[in-house]
Amino acid sequence: MHDVRLGGEDILARQLELAEENYRRLHERGIRSVSVLGAIGSGKTTIVEWAIVRLQREGLRVGAIAADSAGDDDHVRFLSRGARSVNVNTQDDCHLDAHAVDHALDALPLDDLDVVFVENVGNLICPADFPLGTDREMVVISVTEGDDMIRKHPKIFAQTDLVVVNKVDLAPAVGVDPQRLIDDYAKLNPHGRIVLTEAKTGRGMDEVLSLLGFECTNTQW
Amino acid sequence: MVDELISSLLPRLDAIPGRVTAVFLRKGELRILSTHALQSAFELLSRGTRLDGARLEIEDVSAVVRCRACSYEGPPNRFGDERGHLAIPILSCPRCGGDVTAVAGRELCVERVAVSEGEGATRGSVTQGAGP
Repeated sequence: MHDVRLGGEDILARQLELAEENYRRLHERGIRSVSVLGAIGSGKTTIVEWAIVRLQREGLRVGAIAADSAGDDDHVRFLSRGARSVNVNTQDDCHLDAHAVDHALDALPLDDLDVVFVENVGNLICPADFPLGTDREMVVISVTEGDDMIRKHPKIFAQTDLVVVNKVDLAPAVGVDPQRLIDDYAKLNPHGRIVLTEAKTGRGMDEVLSLLGFECTNTQW
Repeated sequence: MVDELISSLLPRLDAIPGRVTAVFLRKGELRILSTHALQSAFELLSRGTRLDGARLEIEDVSAVVRCRACSYEGPPNRFGDERGHLAIPILSCPRCGGDVTAVAGRELCVERVAVSEGEGATRGSVTQGAGP
């Protein structure tokens, strides 16, 4: 028995190449893109809906990719807000990958869009290993999941530069101190930004959009 | 992903005689992939191939960061819980607090396999490719 050395390339290299192709495809058309990750039921879709409404009011043409294991609920919500949307059912896969995004981009009228949101499947573990090729990324959690969500999923938060803590209005009702989430995140990622939101009313969304690089002039929600 | 691992590995084994008993996968600690899931998938997807019966051994690679501001290069500080169960690398410079890039810790690659010579292999005939 002996070991044989192989000059192996990274197994994720192909994923990275595909992600870079997606990035180039969007970038060369001047499309800004945002990947939205987060926990199940944290409010990712509501946040994207607000972003769609708000950015359209700024005159931007918004597209969205709605990924879920099954169904088209999020896709229908995006359409109802006026976005051009594509539905992706990942079925047994718990995350999107760059290949799936490539196909979804085929179905979007890219020449008529300024912004594309990519909402991943609700999951705080494996999506972090699959770059999609967007130029911004945010992770959404909500206070109803508990104030230990960040410390329980440290790897994804250590590598994420924008975290949205949603449903802060419910914090007293569920006995959660959002400060604990803020403190945990500050320790894990001293360079990251964390925003408290109440997506139902739009509170905090200006700051989220600003940190994503969108300056909104119309301040009415 | 494991399918990709196996299909990229099989052609590279063509020049290597003998039975492959283990595949050593280097996995950076910044990767979230589950070791158990990788091993289960490998066991299933390698059936009927030359890797059938080989073990997938995961070798963890510690993170190394490089600071964009002060050029520090080395291990990062770690985030731990009070019971010591966690030691997550913090992607910030331990020396000046600046922004860093990870120069190690994100890899996922096979650099070696273990081969049993019991089945017609000749020692010395198995070197292929360059090492890291």
